Amino acid sequence: MSDEARRGPAGAAQVVLRASSEDRKPVGSGSPPPAATATAVAHKIQLKSADMKEEMRQEAFEIARIAFEKHSMEKDIAEYIKKEFDKNHGPTWHCIVGRNFGSYVTHETNYFVYFYIDSKAVLLFKSG
Amino acid sequence: MLEGKAVVEDTDMPAKMQAQAMSAASRALDRFDVLDCRSIASHIKKEFDAIHGPGWQCVVGSGFGCYITHSKGSFIYFRLESLRFLVFKGAAA
Repeated sequence: MSDEARRGPAGAAQVVLRASSEDRKPVGSGSPPPAATATAVAHKIQLKSADMKEEMRQEAFEIARIAFEKHSMEKDIAEYIKKEFDKNHGPTWHCIVGRNFGSYVTHETNYFVYFYIDSKAVLLFKSG
Repeated sequence: MLEGKAVVEDTDMPAKMQAQAMSAASRALDRFDVLDCRSIASHIKKEFDAIHGPGWQCVVGSGFGCYITHSKGSFIYFRLESLRFLVFKGAAA
């Protein structure tokens, strides 16, 4: 089974704003976050394409938010997201983050999501 | 004939396969507009699936970062004209 990751406006774009029900905290950061993060800005997420259950999709969004808070370089953000999913859902995940890319990938059924967080696209899928 | 020459940035792939990746990219650029990254990626991935068996992935663009796990001997990242190309085979389950 192959799937295309589409870029640009989708017919049925869905806006998902940050939910505060998540109990998970970021793990393993050496320096504690500054106290001034009480008013952290929520990252706007737009789902573009998915073959993934709602619960896992929401987890991807939350992990992406954490990744964007912790890192600024695209490859570091991608690394964080991929490693979290390898850990939580078993290998092997792949993650691409950026403003401008197109891709053509083969993924396992039920394990593909493509979304925008602010102005950057995130492609996350499982293969192999 | 290549208008521009491809430059390999990073690879874990035999030389012959590298050449195949870069020539596939060149053919894709002849056929598709440089802005149509998805069609370019599709062309390359399908060619590699046909030649070297299923499981290949391809990402094309001018601005992206990624973190992947690939099979041994099946990875290349190169530049051609204004685009960057990532071609890899996902690790076997």
